[in-house]
Amino acid sequence: MAQYIFHKSDSRHHEYNDWLDSKKTFSFADYYNPKRMNFGALRVFNDDILVAGKGFGNHPHDNMEIISIPLTGSLKHKDNLGNEKIISAGQSQIMSTGSGVFHSEYNNEPDGETRFLQIWIYPNELNTSPRYQEVALPTEKGRSHFEAFIAPQASETISAIQQNAWMSIGNFEKHQTFNYPVHLKGNGIYLYVITGAIEVDGHQLIEVDGHQLSDGDGLGITEIDHFSGKVNSENAQLLVIEVPMQF
Amino acid sequence: MNDESSLKILAVGYHEEIMKVLKRLINSHSGWTGTIALSILDAQQLLKNEPFDAILLCAGVSQAEEQTLVSTVNQLNAQIKIIRHYGGGSGLLENEIRAAFS
Repeated sequence: MAQYIFHKSDSRHHEYNDWLDSKKTFSFADYYNPKRMNFGALRVFNDDILVAGKGFGNHPHDNMEIISIPLTGSLKHKDNLGNEKIISAGQSQIMSTGSGVFHSEYNNEPDGETRFLQIWIYPNELNTSPRYQEVALPTEKGRSHFEAFIAPQASETISAIQQNAWMSIGNFEKHQTFNYPVHLKGNGIYLYVITGAIEVDGHQLIEVDGHQLSDGDGLGITEIDHFSGKVNSENAQLLVIEVPMQF
Repeated sequence: MNDESSLKILAVGYHEEIMKVLKRLINSHSGWTGTIALSILDAQQLLKNEPFDAILLCAGVSQAEEQTLVSTVNQLNAQIKIIRHYGGGSGLLENEIRAAFS
């Protein structure tokens, strides 16, 4: 039977300073909440806003798949693998940090904010060679399904990740229905509403906020082979993260 | 057993620059003292000579080496927590240590 865990937008840990406004779904840095540690292999989901020209200075990572998705503005990336890149809204950056990498990440906008999702997924193998990838986010509207942009195996429009995980985007119009078949038995689904209002139906309509999820809400679903739903607003954009629950 | 407010932590890993950062991050936490080992042999030697509350397994340490260290710890002091560190920086460090001692 399907199991659900609902993370309402305002239940996220919110902290800010003069350069960063961050909403954290799971425990991170000095925010520690034993009830909010992870969803399967999904360990970090931060919704961050960087002020103009500011960002994260050079720092290390290892053994983590780190995905950054600008929602507005652009990020300036530099790492010790020799990559100097700018990624903008509509793109995603994937760092498989493996045996270790140093990088910096700054808001590339001279005057405006950059909002981006920072997502960390545990790898299924340790100490692999670090690598950097970029991929365009799916933009096509009007389809009833989600388009993957990250998967275990790369293709022309998909970047590979070191885990049996998939990330997909759905761009939907009002009244559209959608369906997501789980790729791998036992995987869980973390659905995040980037923008819009939706209803979700796994095996039965879940009861959250009058059956509706909206901007910033997250919903974890396990023990399903698919989920479906309906869009109640114009221009809904949904992110689906499918991850192993045992890893 | 120690609680999380005062800890001696041995961080083991092969990426020297990352290990220096981790040591600095551990030591920046009030009550925590970090020591780094850049090989399993160094770690075993340190474990024999100094008391530690936790071992942090970092980049480059294989699962076979992890088992070697588990065996060493079981022989010396099974109360030492063995923690696999992911992420390489400050993001999960404090969480992982606090979770191990909670």
